[in-house]
Amino acid sequence: MTAEVLAPTEPPAADPARKRGGLNPLARYLLVRLALLIPMIWLLVTLVFLMMRVIGDPIQAALGGRLPADQIAERKAAAGLDRPILTQYWEYLTGILRGDFGVTLTDNRDVSDILVVNGAATLELAFWSLLVAFAVGIPLGRLAARYRDRLPDVALRLFSILVYAAPVFFVGLLLKLAFTPFGWPSSGRASTGTELTLQQVEPHTHIMIVDAILWGEPSLIWDVLQHAMLPAIALGLLTGGVFIRLVRVNLLQTLRMDYVTAARARGVSERRVLSKHAFRNALVPVVTVMGMQIAMLLGGAILTETTFEWKGLGYALAEYLIKRDFLAVQGIVTVIALIVGIMSFLIDMIVALVDPRVRF
Amino acid sequence: MRIPAPAVVRQAHGLQKFMLLLGFGLVLFFIVVAIFAPWLAPYDFTQVRGSDGVAFGTQQGPSASHWFGTTVAGTDVLSRVIYGARTAVAVIVLAVILSGVVGVPLGLLSGYVGGWVDRLLVFVMDAMYAFPSLLLAIVVSIALSGGSSGAVGGILAAGISITVVFVPQYFRVIRNATLAVKAEPYVDAARVVGVRTPRILRRHVFSNVTSTLPVIGTLNASEAILTLAGLGFLGFGIEPTAAAEWGYDLNKALPDAASGIWWTGVFPGAAIVLIVLGSTLMGESLNDILNPLLRARGGETTTADEAEIDAEFKELTSDVDVDESIADAEGEPRTVAALSMRDLKVSFRTDAAPVRAVRGIGFDVAPGEVVAVVGESGSGKSVSSRAVMGLLPASAEVSGSAILNSGKAGGLKDGDRSRELIGLSQNHLRPIRGDRVSMVFQEPSTALNPVYTVGWQIIEGLKAHGDISKAEARARAVELLDLVGMPDPDQRVDYYPHQLSGGQKQRVVIAMAIACDPEVIIADEPTTALDVTVQASILELLLSLRDRLGTAIVLITHNMGVVADMADRVVVMYRGMIVEQAPVRQLFAAPEHPYTQALLDAVPHLGHADGPEPVPDESPVVLDIANLVVEFPAGLGKPSFRAVDDVSLQIRRGEVLGLVGESGSGKSTIGRTTVGLQKPTSGTVTVSGDEISSLSEAALRPLRSRFGFVFQDPAASLNPRMSILDCIAEPLRVQTELSEREVDSKVRSLLDSVELGGDYAERYPHELSGGQRQRVSLARALALDPDLLIADEPTSALDVSVQARVLELFAELQQRLQFACLFISHDLAVVDSLANRVAVMQYGRLVEVGTRTDVLSRPQEAYTQRLIAAVPVPDPEEQARRRAAH
Repeated sequence: MTAEVLAPTEPPAADPARKRGGLNPLARYLLVRLALLIPMIWLLVTLVFLMMRVIGDPIQAALGGRLPADQIAERKAAAGLDRPILTQYWEYLTGILRGDFGVTLTDNRDVSDILVVNGAATLELAFWSLLVAFAVGIPLGRLAARYRDRLPDVALRLFSILVYAAPVFFVGLLLKLAFTPFGWPSSGRASTGTELTLQQVEPHTHIMIVDAILWGEPSLIWDVLQHAMLPAIALGLLTGGVFIRLVRVNLLQTLRMDYVTAARARGVSERRVLSKHAFRNALVPVVTVMGMQIAMLLGGAILTETTFEWKGLGYALAEYLIKRDFLAVQGIVTVIALIVGIMSFLIDMIVALVDPRVRF
Repeated sequence: MRIPAPAVVRQAHGLQKFMLLLGFGLVLFFIVVAIFAPWLAPYDFTQVRGSDGVAFGTQQGPSASHWFGTTVAGTDVLSRVIYGARTAVAVIVLAVILSGVVGVPLGLLSGYVGGWVDRLLVFVMDAMYAFPSLLLAIVVSIALSGGSSGAVGGILAAGISITVVFVPQYFRVIRNATLAVKAEPYVDAARVVGVRTPRILRRHVFSNVTSTLPVIGTLNASEAILTLAGLGFLGFGIEPTAAAEWGYDLNKALPDAASGIWWTGVFPGAAIVLIVLGSTLMGESLNDILNPLLRARGGETTTADEAEIDAEFKELTSDVDVDESIADAEGEPRTVAALSMRDLKVSFRTDAAPVRAVRGIGFDVAPGEVVAVVGESGSGKSVSSRAVMGLLPASAEVSGSAILNSGKAGGLKDGDRSRELIGLSQNHLRPIRGDRVSMVFQEPSTALNPVYTVGWQIIEGLKAHGDISKAEARARAVELLDLVGMPDPDQRVDYYPHQLSGGQKQRVVIAMAIACDPEVIIADEPTTALDVTVQASILELLLSLRDRLGTAIVLITHNMGVVADMADRVVVMYRGMIVEQAPVRQLFAAPEHPYTQALLDAVPHLGHADGPEPVPDESPVVLDIANLVVEFPAGLGKPSFRAVDDVSLQIRRGEVLGLVGESGSGKSTIGRTTVGLQKPTSGTVTVSGDEISSLSEAALRPLRSRFGFVFQDPAASLNPRMSILDCIAEPLRVQTELSEREVDSKVRSLLDSVELGGDYAERYPHELSGGQRQRVSLARALALDPDLLIADEPTSALDVSVQARVLELFAELQQRLQFACLFISHDLAVVDSLANRVAVMQYGRLVEVGTRTDVLSRPQEAYTQRLIAAVPVPDPEEQARRRAAH
């Protein structure tokens, strides 16, 4: 029997023509994800709308008992809350598409205005805490996997459970207790003087660190960094603890895979096996779960911001909730729902880039 | 390769127990505090004055009368912490129970029923899961109680809002577990027999899925406490006068932090940390403990398997004096050998006694020689080869000698002509791996890293052993792919592994193995995972490479046909020892050791079998398949996949039809469609005169007693949580009106007929070997005296000697009971030994049908001829003749 180049009975695997059209499957995958995103966002914003209506008439809840009935009715009409619910729903949806999230009840601000100013603050907090989380979580996770079941691993696992068990506001409290005696600032985004100065920066991004760098004065930059440090550590540790366990578990799983043994059998160095083969493959599930952590991060932000008086979206939300200003709450929560939806789409995109099996 | 599982270092186990105990202790402590709060707390949680009427004072530090100090409102911190435990435990218990009660049934239903119900639920649950849970809890809490309220109302509201947040988690975990269980053969086995969905959910799915519940329960408890504290912190928890709550206390303590007052915040905070720590530790250790048990099932050989092979071996060697010399290699290592092993021993450290996997073996491989190492499960054949390459886990202890010789000009890297491999450090082994000794693995789809192109992986191997430029490396990679017979190598070098077929992937693996021109290639079951025709071409490739490059090949296999085809010499291993070594023709013609003799006897030989004659035409037709088409819809915008394309078959009473084909031929689909596990797209299936393909599930149920099904995977065809008695009794309980006593005696007689008497009925599947489990499966399939038996690769997962026993039993039962049988297999030799007629399938179409002798000895169609030609026969002389003839 002569050696057949390709045994004729082998079914064609992947059509070579498909490979040339490499972008097509990827584009198709992303379009599908995008198409799924829209109903998800729609569902979320509708849920928000319904939840707010379930609570009852927001104006009555906020001002009832404090104003005579006819004035309340007047306010209701002015806010458009006496119209049929479907009309309100339609207005709500079209408003979102326009970028109009309504006007707050208690202090008559445009919700979109709140979103820009406070949103930038939350973005900044999220950025710093993710930085801490990555810096802590990923290297320590790799360390834990490397020394599996030995002392460093056990210590790290206990550490990550402890960090998870301590609520972020407790960690914040402890940080405040520890650092305030040394004069370290523990509330707000910057000292009052710095804030006032940075108002003048053109173009005004509302992101303190960017504005401070644009202004150029080192003392202001340091002030902003100082204020950001404690909140970032508090929130970052929490997320970092999750990352440690995530990286560890996934790394251990990929280390058991046959292709890792095969790579060793080829004579690839251990260091390279760990980084190029094990870690690279462990990234895929880690990235996916990190996407879900965004929700956790946003939830944690509301607690962190309240603890450190960091005037972000979470802080604003807490304030308006206490004031029972449900129009403001509706607007802010809608934006959060949108962010969640968009983040999940971005994660899908990253997964597609990282894992070729998804693309073809 | 079998590694005793789980091979953990002793330290870890003690640690796990410690963590579990610590967690449990902490949780118990808080539960006790919660229950006995009124007796333990020195004061009430809103109390601001003592019994003497004197106020406690605000923000007082810890003292004798106030161990934890007082708060800004003047209440006693210790009392508030104790009562806070009560609130926390109450809410947690409520929330975990409610979430479980709602989430678990939804997950079960969604996972099992599937379809649009599932899609809708998943969509909603995913959206809820994605939403920040704290926000959701706040909104629900407001909706329920307007923000805060009395104790019970408040606890209920907090509990419900936490439930809403955690139902998606339970749902998700249970749904995934249900999906996994649903795919298991034992669920299919229940469906075949006609078990109704509620009963399947209850007895089969639920009991296997609930093992995950303690873990999610404890982990959810942790999150629930944190959510409750978060709610309280933000002011959406319980009304402060109604109950004490830690999160609320932390909120009030926040301003104190700036003034250095620590006791108001640290104590409630520490309480939260400790209870969550306890709950999480419990959950994590439960997970660690329960998971290995779940994983140990799939496909790994058990102690029962070993015991079975052991018993057979003892039977064979009991009254025979075995000559030791047939097993020993010559005393001095042959210097002309490429690889020489002497007294190689491998043992694994485990929690129990060390397991001696290899007990002192020795053989040589000369350059250009193919030495086949054969053995059944647990023989140590894979372990010994991996020991040579240093690829065993850290728990392995290796001793002995394995000397690598270089016969080539230039020799080894540091000038030595020979090198001792055992005992070398990883650093010294690394340059040798891939360069002087390389390996070809069994499963090509897992041996290749899915995220890198095949070219990248080949180049990686090249670069690890020398300085080579990118361009040169790429050119060499293309050259290698061409050498192994890959079509369009310059294009495919940039392909990802999943774009290649199984055979092509294995060619890539071989290309990587020969990349640096090694002296020795160790091929560990290189073709076991491949189809027969693909196997033939891969073996051909290995032989041609051997001829061209002069490599020594160690071929590890359990397939005696492959041995007869490829090997120059054979080493037979059993339980870590070499039983016999001989040149291949001598071994097959005149085996000396009784084990070898028995092994060779047990191997079915295509063309030599004493199979049955065709059944007379007057026998009634039991199974009539007419123009059957089965299509599977693919995803969006892709054409559906036609698994079965217009197939027509008939099987008469007392007849065995062997349905053969390679993977993807559609033979399994036909089997499943015949018993109603799969609905046909068109065409009909008629069993004993009744057309079953168009019947609804309810109408089909009473007819299900007419067929029985035996599945391929012995590990998964029996519900691990049901005793053998219950497994076999299930069809009887569902389809007949027999009393328990009658069922019991029927089951025992069935067990007798499959040669499993006595106490097997009370045992559980994990206690049985693979062969024994297949016999139980057979007993279960025959419980209702079916007209038709479908056997889907019933012995493919069994060792050779075990397979022989099971097939013998099967043939005997079939002759006695005269049921019609559809015997699905890829193994032509097995089919040759027991089928009356044979049908050959390819790509969903029937290629050829006829009597056994017609199809297998005088095949008409080209594909059938190719198929038969590709099967190696366990006889070196005959195999050599077949090769020469082509």
